[in-house]
Amino acid sequence: MNSNNYTIVITGLGGQGLIRFLQILGNSLMQKGYKVITSEKHGLSQRGGKVICFLRFGEKIAAPIPIIGSADMIISTEKASILDVLEFAKPDRSSKLIVATYQKETRTREYPLEEDLSIVLNENSDNVYTVPVMPIVDKFKNIKMINTIILGYIARFLPLTEEDLLASINQHFKGPILDLNRKALLEGIALN
Amino acid sequence: MERSKILQGQFGEEFFLLGNVAVTRGALESGINVYTYYPGTPSSEVGETFTELFKDAGLNWVESSVNEKVAIEVAGAAYSRGAKAMVGMKNVGLNVASDAFFALATTRPKNENSAMVVLVADDPQQYSSAVEMDSRYYLKLLKVPALEPSNPQECLEYTKLAFEISRELKIPVIIRLVTMVAHARSNVKVGKLVPPKLNENFDLSPEVNVASRLYFLDLKQDQIYNRMNRALSKSENSSLNKIEYKNVSNEFDLGIITSGVSYTYVLEALESLNIKAPVLKLGFINPLPERKIVTFLKQFKQVFVVEENDAYIETEVLAIAQKNGVQTKIHGKDPFSYSKESSALNFVGELNPTKVALALTKITNLTPITNLRQINGKRYETVRRRPILCPGCPYGTIGYALRKAVKKLKLDFAKEIYFYQDIGCYTLLSFSPYSFANVKYCMGSSIALAQGVAHTDDSLNIAIIGDGTFFHSGIPALINGVYNKAPILVLILDNGWIGMTGQQPHPGSDNRYYQEGSNKKKVDLGRLLQGTGANVSIIKHQKGNDENYLHNLEEILYEKGQSVLEKNDMQVIVIEDECIQKYNQRNTLEVRYVDEELCTNCGLCYNQFYCPALTKKNDIAHINSNECLGCGICEYLCPNDAILGGNNNE
Repeated sequence: MNSNNYTIVITGLGGQGLIRFLQILGNSLMQKGYKVITSEKHGLSQRGGKVICFLRFGEKIAAPIPIIGSADMIISTEKASILDVLEFAKPDRSSKLIVATYQKETRTREYPLEEDLSIVLNENSDNVYTVPVMPIVDKFKNIKMINTIILGYIARFLPLTEEDLLASINQHFKGPILDLNRKALLEGIALN
Repeated sequence: MERSKILQGQFGEEFFLLGNVAVTRGALESGINVYTYYPGTPSSEVGETFTELFKDAGLNWVESSVNEKVAIEVAGAAYSRGAKAMVGMKNVGLNVASDAFFALATTRPKNENSAMVVLVADDPQQYSSAVEMDSRYYLKLLKVPALEPSNPQECLEYTKLAFEISRELKIPVIIRLVTMVAHARSNVKVGKLVPPKLNENFDLSPEVNVASRLYFLDLKQDQIYNRMNRALSKSENSSLNKIEYKNVSNEFDLGIITSGVSYTYVLEALESLNIKAPVLKLGFINPLPERKIVTFLKQFKQVFVVEENDAYIETEVLAIAQKNGVQTKIHGKDPFSYSKESSALNFVGELNPTKVALALTKITNLTPITNLRQINGKRYETVRRRPILCPGCPYGTIGYALRKAVKKLKLDFAKEIYFYQDIGCYTLLSFSPYSFANVKYCMGSSIALAQGVAHTDDSLNIAIIGDGTFFHSGIPALINGVYNKAPILVLILDNGWIGMTGQQPHPGSDNRYYQEGSNKKKVDLGRLLQGTGANVSIIKHQKGNDENYLHNLEEILYEKGQSVLEKNDMQVIVIEDECIQKYNQRNTLEVRYVDEELCTNCGLCYNQFYCPALTKKNDIAHINSNECLGCGICEYLCPNDAILGGNNNE
């Protein structure tokens, strides 16, 4: 069951729009004929706490939570949040780690140093992708675009085309915010 | 989006649906007439969806009730008069509803169409609950059938089946969900919508509806020996209780019994250990199918029972095994030992495939394909993030003012001050940096908790409760306080909405500002309080432009605290300041910025007023314009007038 499924772990902060991200991605995959399941682990996440989400797709509906050491892809929409979910990385270092450059400091804790973070990431995977979201976010003046940029970025690894994702985005947003999301998606797809 | 579209789905069409929304669709495919609920994570989306669809779907009645007890009573009587009714709540809500539920469970409506489904959503790991409570033991107390789906597709199907069973047997049927089912999204193939219909003529005969010794001893006989007996044969014959992977075997002579989402964890765990085992998946969880379980047990030397939280199924399986003389060794949580050592799984916390796999290694001594223990032992120092109040949250302002008032009261009166918390966003004031909590139980308990200490000590005892929670179950405790002359200070934090679960309305919400509000009447909280004879003061914040608010708030908190300490009276302060998220849906407030010339970096704002948008940057106060929601409090606070509204032309 596990072997036939592609497992994505997504983490970030409450309020970033991760649930919407799951809906858009899950819906696009369903349209492609996959069985998809998503789930969320969060407490008072809408109050800035951490959120961990799972998306799994394949020929059969999988468990909503994967076993540790089994994720094909781990996405962190806030840089250091990835430290919370590295237990899902495969021991053979083949999981793709996708890390957005957005950094949210806290009042009480020192933020991990760039070098330390990079050592840890390379310890866990041979496929670390750092996604420079901040220049695009600044251009659009909208922090919520991080997810959409990441969505565009990961399309290259998934059985989804630009059209598939745009179609799903069209269903989830309206008006000026739809336009912004479409642009952010294309920026993400175009990133190196 | 997904909510409105579920009404359009044609037979066989596939949608990507949340478990809770699939439940709604299942009810719509059953011709539901009435849905009532009290919001509570993880059950709220069912009620929200029904509220949105109420008129379009042609339901006879939908309401977000004042609490779960009222919700089940409204739906229960509708069921008696011939409606297909459903009520929704979270696990702890069932405690509130349970008093009425005991009578409801025994009633036996005489109307053909009558059907009643009770949706209860448990929250293992108590992600958003005050306690981690397994609702399943209520099934034994109430003696009602129950179904437990394991994914969104089953949410839809089991809901339909629950309506069918209830309609046939005339007994309420529980649908039990857990967070990982209620909040999972997946492909769901929908069936056919059934338009609601309700007969004008109905039978409300007392002998089947009036809970009293006169009728209910006989009705209870019927409930247990007729209706539950028939439910048992359904359970024995139901495809919801079935053996998956019947023909596989393993060297350990091991079989597995499980239910709900745990079933999916079992499959994953077995695969990670590279073994195969037959699995008895129980979807019909009360009454449990004794014969089926015995037949299954007899096939194995050992059976592992996998379920979330309590050992509900395991205890039943142990009893069934004993009764039928089955010698099979049963693994699980070992419910009689109260010992972690002898059990494979823990009573506490949410299950996942990793925990199940590790338990299986304990039972079989197998090594998993990937070294789970090694991964499990690997932990990184992460950035801890506490849940925080939103920027501009009225409760942050109250926390700030209360801190100052309390400090002064302590200084002036040399008395201890204790805080009693309740359930809502303001619960976050319980923790650092505010720490306004000494005792907290459940919905509506703060006001009575304060009385328990106030009557036995000369300290100042302050209850903190929100408006929604006050309406839900705070009112009796307040009346108790007035009646008993309890020397307490009650703070009713009135943000206008049930903020925590997504700003749903309650009876005190402004009915101009929610969808179904045109059919509702706002209950005036101030007049209600005055009616009890309590000493009530009301203070209101005019958002974004109310320079004296902070000062006035501090002053009233001090004054009323002083009154309780000096005169031993009871004081109630209502603090009206709307949830900023909700307020900003209708209004635009000015984002604040710091004038770098005027800021002296005194630190008052970023050190003492805990707004997430306020930080120190380059040795000066800084407001993150992406986060500020424009409440204006920091502007009133700044002693140097360095915080301003409007455009920062940097």
